[in-house]
Amino acid sequence: MKKQLIELRVNGRPRELAVEPSKLLLETLRQDLQLTGSKRGCDDSSCGACTVLIDGVPMLSCTLLAASCEGQEITTVEGVSEHGALAAIQKAYGDWGGAQCGFCTPGFMMTVKHLLATTANPSEAEIREALSSNLCRCTGYSQMYQAIKAAIEAEQKGMDSLSQQVAK
Amino acid sequence: MWFAGVYVYLRPTTLEEALEALYQSRGELLAGGTDFYPSLGERLPAKPIVDITRVRELKGITRKPDLFRIGGGATWTELIKAPLPRCFDALKAAAREIGSVQIQNRGTVAGNLCNASPAADSVPALLALDAAVELASRSTVRRVALQDFILGNRKTARQADEILTAILVPRAVDDALSTFLKLGARRYLVISIAIVAVVLDIESGKIRDARVAVGSCSVRAQRLTDLEQRLRGASLSDIAELAAEQHLKPLSPIDDVRASASYRFDSALTLVRRALAQCAAKC
Repeated sequence: MKKQLIELRVNGRPRELAVEPSKLLLETLRQDLQLTGSKRGCDDSSCGACTVLIDGVPMLSCTLLAASCEGQEITTVEGVSEHGALAAIQKAYGDWGGAQCGFCTPGFMMTVKHLLATTANPSEAEIREALSSNLCRCTGYSQMYQAIKAAIEAEQKGMDSLSQQVAK
Repeated sequence: MWFAGVYVYLRPTTLEEALEALYQSRGELLAGGTDFYPSLGERLPAKPIVDITRVRELKGITRKPDLFRIGGGATWTELIKAPLPRCFDALKAAAREIGSVQIQNRGTVAGNLCNASPAADSVPALLALDAAVELASRSTVRRVALQDFILGNRKTARQADEILTAILVPRAVDDALSTFLKLGARRYLVISIAIVAVVLDIESGKIRDARVAVGSCSVRAQRLTDLEQRLRGASLSDIAELAAEQHLKPLSPIDDVRASASYRFDSALTLVRRALAQCAAKC
């Protein structure tokens, strides 16, 4: 099959790639870009382990062609950390047992990143609804819920102490 | 230029280009892809792919004097966010329970119709809104009632060179109340066992018009016209009691991995009664 040159923006970097036009975004990320955070779980778009953000919106990379994402901004779990350190939500997932076997975690990170980016102070119902989009077979979700609450608090405290410093 | 016996991927940006590409390539249409890829499994697509996600004319949901036009490329999330009158509440509720948020962000309403699964979540609500679809080819544009568009399991009246350009909902009952109920093994990420949508147009405590549709209980979703007839003119009190087993005649549920036929039949009646009661309670 003839490869085609496409240009993708992944985690803020332009990447030029030669891929078969039939290649799924998930496979392109994992095989061509060695970004193996996104996982192939169910293969029928029902588990969410392959969730990435396309222009900031969570979608399943197992049902998208890489070629169809040309010109759009793709964010994977590898793009969630901030300045080389874990983002608050990543740290909170670790601290609160939101991740156990870890297979579903990268997908959850993207779902939760979108929730926090679009909803400043999500209610319990909003958090639980966001979590419904991904499957986890280890944690039972309650730990994730606690982790998200903790991450929001940590962010708010960080902002408060920052604004106090600014005030001083 | 684009196909010499090799795999071809086309991404037109206008409807005219898309129709030409579809006609010339004899390919398959790809929109959200949320049904397309799972159905392929490990296989490669056998035909050229015409990706219509960037076709301008297919975007958006618009209000016209006599109808609402849901563009062929409109996603579930767009529908959920669109300001629509309350007769769309059932369709919006269906949209929120389709797959997961990721699927709602990518999958299209039109794709759900073209995929023509017996368990398609949007079909009962759209049937209850008397929706029609607009189909365009290079030479023609035609309108087909949704009831006549879905012919059977995975079968529609769409010709190979046609694109479903819009779903049209007549503005006959904008202020009618509507309710959607779905039964699955769990709430999210699940294929339905039974789906019910109810639209009730109410005037001074009496039902002026009623539409009741049931999905996942026959090869294609069905309106329960005998029940609708029974409901017209009835008062809202004890509305649920008016639904009886005999009204489910259009249904022909099957046994499968998700439920037995008799369980489906039983669930359908329970859901119809519950949906009627919930819808009337909104009044």
